[in-house]
Amino acid sequence: MSQLAPIICDNGTGYSKIGFAGNSDPSFVFPTAIATRGSPTQSSRAPAVPSKPGHLASKRGVEDLDFFIGDEALANARTPGYGVHYPIRHGMIDNWDHMERYWEQVIFKYLRAEPEDHYFLLTEPPLNPPENREQTAEIFFESFNIKGLYIAVQAVLALAASWTSPRVMDRTLTGTVIDSGDGVTHVIPCAEGYVIGSAIKHIPIAGRDITQFVLNLLRERGETTATPPEDQLKIASKVKENYSYVCQDIVKEFRKYDAEPYKYFERFEGEHSVTGRQYSIDVGYERFLAPEIFFNPEIYSSDFLTPLPDIVDDVIQQSPIDVRRGLYKNIVLSGGSTMFQHFGNRLKRDLKQLVDRRLDASVLASGSTSKSSGVEVDVISHKRQRYAVWFGGSLLADLPEFYTSCHTKAQYDEIGPSICRRYQIFGSATQ
Amino acid sequence: MILLEAHNVIIKTTLADKLNKPSTLEVSFVDYDGVRFRLSTPERKTLLLLSMHIRCWDELVKYGALDVLRREYGSLLRDQAEAGFNVSMEIDLEQVPAGAEDREAFINSIALFKRNALAAPFEQGFKNQKELEAANAGQGELMQIHYRDEEAIYIQAADDRVTVIFSTVFRDETDRILGKVFLQEFVDARRLPALQNAPQVLYSNRDPPLEIRHLNLPKSEDIGYVTFVLFPRHFSNSSVTATTISHVQLFRDYLHYHIKCSKAYMHSRMRHRAAEFQKVLNRAKQENTSTEKKTVSGRTMVAR
Repeated sequence: MSQLAPIICDNGTGYSKIGFAGNSDPSFVFPTAIATRGSPTQSSRAPAVPSKPGHLASKRGVEDLDFFIGDEALANARTPGYGVHYPIRHGMIDNWDHMERYWEQVIFKYLRAEPEDHYFLLTEPPLNPPENREQTAEIFFESFNIKGLYIAVQAVLALAASWTSPRVMDRTLTGTVIDSGDGVTHVIPCAEGYVIGSAIKHIPIAGRDITQFVLNLLRERGETTATPPEDQLKIASKVKENYSYVCQDIVKEFRKYDAEPYKYFERFEGEHSVTGRQYSIDVGYERFLAPEIFFNPEIYSSDFLTPLPDIVDDVIQQSPIDVRRGLYKNIVLSGGSTMFQHFGNRLKRDLKQLVDRRLDASVLASGSTSKSSGVEVDVISHKRQRYAVWFGGSLLADLPEFYTSCHTKAQYDEIGPSICRRYQIFGSATQ
Repeated sequence: MILLEAHNVIIKTTLADKLNKPSTLEVSFVDYDGVRFRLSTPERKTLLLLSMHIRCWDELVKYGALDVLRREYGSLLRDQAEAGFNVSMEIDLEQVPAGAEDREAFINSIALFKRNALAAPFEQGFKNQKELEAANAGQGELMQIHYRDEEAIYIQAADDRVTVIFSTVFRDETDRILGKVFLQEFVDARRLPALQNAPQVLYSNRDPPLEIRHLNLPKSEDIGYVTFVLFPRHFSNSSVTATTISHVQLFRDYLHYHIKCSKAYMHSRMRHRAAEFQKVLNRAKQENTSTEKKTVSGRTMVAR
């Protein structure tokens, strides 16, 4: 058994979370971006062919080494000759050439690990085609010669991350995951470690939209006159991250603010990024209105109108009947946009109302002859929500079963990339 | 980034981060060649404990690693290492130099923990060479550092040079062939006029070079030996010495990194080629051959 900790690599559309198993936070969080030679609009994705065949010595170029990733890629975006690419789109790997090189530098430059000595745990989005798993396995086993590989579904790792919450008694892999990042929010039901693909729903409201909504509110109130235009989006996201919370009742909250504005209005102090001029703005109703767009989307968008609790309820109702209780009982939050204070409480309350109302209706419909024992609804928030997927990976890869659940290099050589179509669920107490 | 850096990025970023905002911490991470690190705050938030485990620690101590580390870190070094590790140092965040540049230099020196430990045999080799040159004597002691399970570095000083030999083992067939081509090219590249000042490089497959032939190393096709001959000009002053050590130390990792980069490059060419072939195949497809077939009564046939 290897002494060296397995490497956990969670590549998201926006950011990659990378680190070693057993730690509580990823060692690196940087954009999934790569800057290579050649313009980003280049139609052919392959690197340029060396121009003239000739003496070998004249061909000693460094095309294969000449690229940057992460923050360095963005810093070099303006350097002439380099173009920035984002190899992952909508959670799935879009450009394998770039992704392979991206991983190279992740491993060698940032983690400073010899891949031949380590096991790897990678993540994949729900509904990832098996061909993508095969490609990934091919790259990791054939380019990097890694010891062993485990590809886990992000939602399952998010469930595993919730085991750290003191309220979770049994380490189960059945539950509903609400994963809200920057671009999109997913609601994913999982039964015993397997995703119920047919019931997954997406909500086009996530972090970016909340920021935009805060900005709109600030603009409408005229706060933005004092702030530099190029910093406005950044200010809005700071306000969102530092001052926002979820309220239990909008009307009461408005009344509270109007009665005692000095108590509830906050002041945001900022500094102009170029001139260093100080400015400050008032932060008011947006404190509780920002996350409210999850629960009342009509205040922000005109085409998407279903509140988050309704979506969650729909998702669970579409899942097989025998797991629904488990799904209601274990709703797990993951991702930065679920970090608002009281988010879990509000979701739980709204969802409970929906469920109870339906139960009451069915009791009425049956002529009050049969009485339901009720359905337990629980939403679990925990400390590791922001990087929940990564943390779940770190937790699972630290278990001794991890090594036996991995596909090893020997198995890969024997069977081929198709080995990664199958995978084994482990770690849960209810197996 | 074209070259690999000598410092550890995690130590650097974590320290810089904690200097701004101390908090409790416990992380373990690795560096090349199975080196394990652990950074923790056992007592209070501002006192960091950094421990390192190196496989070949006993050999390094024999060649003066403790002296080098003491010279670099002075009182930061703890007498007693943390359990499970070879060497530990304590960093008090309240006593870190205040100026921005000093602070940067301090962080950098800590991030070079592994490099400094592994630099000891090299420095010893350079020192031996000076002594041998003065005494006009033959060859110094052969130092062996088994820094990986199957691979080792051998350093030997002579009166006019220091020889560094790396044994390299490739587990994978493809890597072995690529590595062989690489190392042969590497030797050839040295002949370019622009690289005349670089150390001399020799590569031999299977048979160990004369310096270490008496060790009776196992002979197999997988093993190659790369010899660097460092002349006094490569360690004439302290800054040149430092860069020489950093570069030579990372040789194996850089070789592997470069092999992997080349593979990725070839893979992308292969994918490109496959896509081109696919286009040709698609062109050969016949355009919509299926015309609508109808029965006499005018109904359409539908394939089930």
